[in-house]
Amino acid sequence: MTTASLDPTGAVEASTAPPGADPETKRRARREGWKRRLPLMPAFVFVIIMTQLPFLATIFISFSNWTAFSGNKGFAGLDNFKTVFQDSDARSAVVTTIELTLLVVLISLVLGIVIALLLDRTFRGRGIVRTMMIAPFLIVPEAAALVWKHALFNVQSGLINGSITQFYNWFGLKNPPQPDWITSHPLGTIVTALVWQWTPFMMLIMLAGLQGRPMDIIEAAQVDGANTWQIFTKMTLPHMRRYIELAGLLGAIYIVQNFEYVYTITSGGQNTANLPYYIQQTFFAGTGEYGVASAAGVVVVIGTIVIATFALRTVLTVLKEES
Amino acid sequence: METNKTKWGLAGASVPIMLWTLIPIVWIVATSLKSTTALADQQQNVFGNFWPKSISWDNYSLIFTGGAKDLFVPALWHSIVVCLVATLISVVLATFCAYAIARLDFPGKKAILITALTVSFFPVIAMVTPLFNLWRILHLFDTLPGLIIPYITLTLPLSIWILSAFFQQIPWEMEQAAQVDGASSWQAFVKVVAPLAAPGVFTTAIIAFFTAWNDFVFSSNLTAARAQTVPAALNSFTGASQFTQPTGAICAAAVVVTIPVVILVLLFQRRIVAGLTSGAVKG
Repeated sequence: MTTASLDPTGAVEASTAPPGADPETKRRARREGWKRRLPLMPAFVFVIIMTQLPFLATIFISFSNWTAFSGNKGFAGLDNFKTVFQDSDARSAVVTTIELTLLVVLISLVLGIVIALLLDRTFRGRGIVRTMMIAPFLIVPEAAALVWKHALFNVQSGLINGSITQFYNWFGLKNPPQPDWITSHPLGTIVTALVWQWTPFMMLIMLAGLQGRPMDIIEAAQVDGANTWQIFTKMTLPHMRRYIELAGLLGAIYIVQNFEYVYTITSGGQNTANLPYYIQQTFFAGTGEYGVASAAGVVVVIGTIVIATFALRTVLTVLKEES
Repeated sequence: METNKTKWGLAGASVPIMLWTLIPIVWIVATSLKSTTALADQQQNVFGNFWPKSISWDNYSLIFTGGAKDLFVPALWHSIVVCLVATLISVVLATFCAYAIARLDFPGKKAILITALTVSFFPVIAMVTPLFNLWRILHLFDTLPGLIIPYITLTLPLSIWILSAFFQQIPWEMEQAAQVDGASSWQAFVKVVAPLAAPGVFTTAIIAFFTAWNDFVFSSNLTAARAQTVPAALNSFTGASQFTQPTGAICAAAVVVTIPVVILVLLFQRRIVAGLTSGAVKG
């Protein structure tokens, strides 16, 4: 894709009146401006209502003493937040969320960079290979989680244990190990499956970044005798820094929210419950602790806003550099 | 400039990565094509139990006409209807919105875009819990509109952001040029602007559809039985009998729900990649 600046904020000032126009034109331009701004309203109002109102409701419920079992018993002050920070399950969910997000983002980022570097060169069948490498990202996440659980990690019929058996047979070895992956490495299995699905996403952003490299300078460095490794560490990586930050932050925002992998693969067992899973369980299971679940929801939103602020800053810097 | 050694090193490095990415996918397809007996019996498969000797459509008939029919077929319809309606509404709204953003310079424009971006990062789980209570009061729980509305929320901010980036590249001077040449503003829009904007709108629609199609959090928590979509229904799959694993059926269903996405992406790959990274980085 060859594109001009993609900064959506740099508007074409086609509809505004030129400076020095007579007052009548200016007024008409302003009226025209309002008329044109009107189409924004339905979309904007809908987004505000649908995202801000539930959030306000969550804040409201987080301060109330409300369970599915006993109904709303009024104002609870900060009790629900205290519960969230004192409850060992909630604390463990916070730790798991951080572990899960860091592991998945870091591993898939490294793999994404490696694959992007491999694909960022001309060879026959490059288009096909690139399409195939995107494939994991296209599978419905819940289907992918189920497939990993039932068709890959399964003790008897799973692909991983099957491959181990096959390798042992090839080399004439007896008694191949057949571990129960989900029980022995619960968090590891979730991380593995998530990395598999998210690596293509990282790869896509990395490829976009690689294409923006100043090739003339790199060629000059090659002429001056720099080797591949030097070019990679001294030139490619610094250029890619922004893209790496961006991919990492966008990935983190989505993986912090991930619910289906934890829900499907381990059902939160063995300390693998992350915050979204904890919230869902607190809300829907047992006595339905609406207040506590909402307080945990507020915590997640605040956490996401913190990450998102960094992401936003990166996005805006990238945009500025591009334009 | 590359030595042969580097070349072979790169080839060597790419093999395990390709295997890691692709083998699970081939395995899903292979498993979906195994008959119930082949799933349990090594002798009926080749490559060490990997690919079935004879392809069987058992798993596909199980989900379309067999025991899992009542679970899968309605869910597939719900998925299609809910995602199409939500995509249509949010793309139409986003088109208006992005058009205004691209054509006008007004205070607060940047704020609107930043809000759209922030909102698309909003954790869905924090929306589900209040909606659950609200939807039960409004009788929207376990209904199709009860899913369409949150899916618009999910896809609208994203669509606004991507479309604004696309519209930015349109040479708007052409619209005025057409008007100067005597076209009415409606003609200018239909004949000049719409054809230029269509690819962007279409790509946005695909990405929005993809986002809604993949959702599990809303569909598993805001529906029970009457409005379940595929991701939620998949979770309640069981095997042909109580004692068999649902693996074959799950793989078949995974293939079925992934096919539309793969077709769309294969057809429009370049544009989608540009769309996914647009507004974020240069595509």
